[in-house]
Amino acid sequence: MDRDQALRLVYDAIDVVNHQLPASRRLAKSLDTVIVGPYGSLDSLGLINFVITLEERVTDALTVPVELLDSTALIEEESPFRTVDTLTCFLETLDGPTAEDAEDAEVQP
Amino acid sequence: MSSVSSVVEITRTRSWRNVDAVTYGPLYFLADFNIETLARLVGNSVLPGTETRMALAAPVMVQLASGSPGPEWSAVVWSQPDSSIASFRRAVTYEEPDADRAIEETREYAASIGRFARGTRATFVPTWVLPPWHRGYGPLDFRPGLGIAHLLARMNLALSDALRDEPNVFVLDAARWIASVGPRAWSDKLWFATKSPFTAAVFEQAASDLAAAIAGLNGGARRLVILDLDDVLWGGIVGEVGWQGLNLGGHDPAGEAFADFQRALKGLTRRGIQLAIASRNDEAVALEAIDRHPEMALRRADFAGWKINWTDKAQNVVDLLAEIGLGAESAVFIDDSASERARVGSAVPGVLVPDWPGDPSKYREALASLRCFDVPFITREDRARSGMYAAERTRRTSLSAAGDLQAWLESLDVVVTVESLTSATLDRATQLFNKTNQMNLATRRLANTELMAWTAADDHSVLTFRVADRFGDSGLTGLVGLEFEGPRARLVDFVLSCRVMGRNVEETLLHVAAAHARVRGAAELVAEFRPTSRNAPCLEFFRRSGFRAESDGRFVWGLSTRYERPPWVTVRDHSDVTRAGNPA
Repeated sequence: MDRDQALRLVYDAIDVVNHQLPASRRLAKSLDTVIVGPYGSLDSLGLINFVITLEERVTDALTVPVELLDSTALIEEESPFRTVDTLTCFLETLDGPTAEDAEDAEVQP
Repeated sequence: MSSVSSVVEITRTRSWRNVDAVTYGPLYFLADFNIETLARLVGNSVLPGTETRMALAAPVMVQLASGSPGPEWSAVVWSQPDSSIASFRRAVTYEEPDADRAIEETREYAASIGRFARGTRATFVPTWVLPPWHRGYGPLDFRPGLGIAHLLARMNLALSDALRDEPNVFVLDAARWIASVGPRAWSDKLWFATKSPFTAAVFEQAASDLAAAIAGLNGGARRLVILDLDDVLWGGIVGEVGWQGLNLGGHDPAGEAFADFQRALKGLTRRGIQLAIASRNDEAVALEAIDRHPEMALRRADFAGWKINWTDKAQNVVDLLAEIGLGAESAVFIDDSASERARVGSAVPGVLVPDWPGDPSKYREALASLRCFDVPFITREDRARSGMYAAERTRRTSLSAAGDLQAWLESLDVVVTVESLTSATLDRATQLFNKTNQMNLATRRLANTELMAWTAADDHSVLTFRVADRFGDSGLTGLVGLEFEGPRARLVDFVLSCRVMGRNVEETLLHVAAAHARVRGAAELVAEFRPTSRNAPCLEFFRRSGFRAESDGRFVWGLSTRYERPPWVTVRDHSDVTRAGNPA
C-alpha cells in the first residue's frame, strides 16, 4: 500500500471516531496526532472502534482480510498505533494479494 | 414583502431568546449490550450538548423496573431478542420453539416498557434483529411454528401492537439500519472485545433516526419543499422546448425517473408536507406545462404557492415563505443547480438545502433519505393539508374580487367549533402547540404526554377550535389553555394556525376564553405575552384586541364585560363547560 493511500484510510477512520468524541477532544488529521498513549484522546471503546473501522477500510483497499486488532500490538512500547505517522508507516508495509494468490483464486471451484 | 437581508437578520437573532432555543432534553439509554457508542454519537454529533446517561448494567427488565430518571428525560430501550425473551433464546439454539409462549413474553416485556415510558418524555424502542449470517433453519426459517426468522418477525409485530396505545413510545425499525450498512453492520470481533454487537456505522444510522424523531417531537420537522422545475420535476428547459418537448414519463429512463420523483413528492403531500415552486421561467409557460402535460403527477392544486419569474431565487424563497406563513426552518430547497443551492443556502439561513444528485434516477432515493420530515404522528389535518391550501388560494382570490374586507369577512360564513381537549384530539393539539410560531402567546413546546398531564389538573382547562367556512374545513387550528387562580383566569396558551389568521377567528378565541373564565367564576382574564423572534403578529393582535395593555406584555380583560364575538362568526361550543351552561 502506498503512503498516500495509507494516510487517507487512517484519516477516514479518524473521521468516524471523531463523531463519537466531544469537539474539544477530536483527533487532528496530522502525522503527529497521538492515537495510543498518555496524551491520546481515545479510551478503550474509542480505540477499538477506531481499529475495527480502519481494519475494514484496509481490508477493502487490499482486497484481503487484514487483522489489526491485536491487544498486545495496541499497548506495546513500539506499537504501530502510537501516532498517525507510525500507523501510516505500518500500513505501508501491508500488501494486497500477490499474482500467485490471484492465480490460486482463479482455480477455486 | 420581506427582504433576504431581513430573514438573515431574524435567523441570526433567534439564538438569544430562551423560548426559541432548541432544547431536546436529556436522553437515557437502557440496553443489554454496550450502547455507549450510540450515546456518544448522540451527545457529541447529532444532538451536540445533549446530556446522556446509561442505566446501570442489569437485565433490561430490571433496568425498566427501576424507572425513568425523570419526566424530562427521553429514553432508548434496545435489547437483544435472545436475552429479553427466554422462549426465543431456546428457539435460537434449535430447541423446539414455543411461539405462543414467546409472544406472551413479548407482551409482558412491552407492558414493562409501557409502564416505564409513562415516566419519560418519549421512549424509543428499536426492533429486534438477528445477524445476517444467522441462517436459522435455511429454507424452513420462515415457516410458522418452526422458523426463527418467522418467530422474530411475529415478536416484533407483537411488541409494536402491544405498544400501539402508548402515545409516547416509538418503535424504530432497526432492520433498516442494518440493511443500509450491509455486511459490515455486525461484528463479532466488536462483540467479544466490547460487548457491542453493532459497528459504529449502525449506531450512526440509529443516532440520525433518533435525532430526527426527537426534533420531530419538538416541532422541528420540515413542512415545505420548495422545488425548481427544469431538470427537477421534468427533463429539459420548458422555455426552450415547450411542454410538449419535456422529458417526463413515457419510455425514456430519465423521463420515468422524473415522473417517479413527482409521485414521491405527491406522496409527501399526503403526510402533510406542502410543495412550492421557485423557478426561473416564464410563469405562463411553466404553468401551462403543469396544467397540460399528460404525465404530470403534480398539478397546480398540489402546490401551496409558486414564484416563477426571473428574480433572484433566494428572494423568491423568502417571498414564498412569507406568503405561506412558514419560517425558513420549516423549508427544504431542491434545485439541480449547485450555484442556486449555494445562493439559497447562504442567503436564507435555516432552509435545508440538501446536496442533490445529478442523475434523475437518484432523485427519489435522495428525497426518501431526508429525515427532516419525521413527525411523531400523522393527523387528519396533515392528510388534508394540500386541499386546505388550495381552498386558501380560492379564498384569497375571492378577497381580491370582493375588494371590501368587511363584506368579504361577513360572506365567509365562518363556523368555529369548540371542544375540550380529549385523547382523540391530543395528537393534533400537540402538533399545533409545537409547530405554531406566529400567533402563539407563550410558545410552550410540550410532548403529548406533557400536554395531557397539564390539562388534567383541576385548575387547568384546554379548549380546541375547529374552523370551517364556505371554502372548506381547515380542521383543528386553534387552542387556548386557561389556568384559574381564585378571581383571576390566566390565558396561558393562545395558539392559532396561520392558515386561519385574519378571519376574525382570533377574536372568537378570546370571546370563548373569556366566557369560560366567567363561568368558572373569574373576575378578570390575563394574558402574558412571551416574545420570540416569530410571534410579533400575536403581540400586534393583543394590542388591538381591546384587552387593557399593562407593562411587560400583560393584557387584561375585566370579565364584568362580555368579550363580544364577531357577529358573523358562528360558535358551536361542545366543551365540557358548555354542558353545565352555555358560555359561548
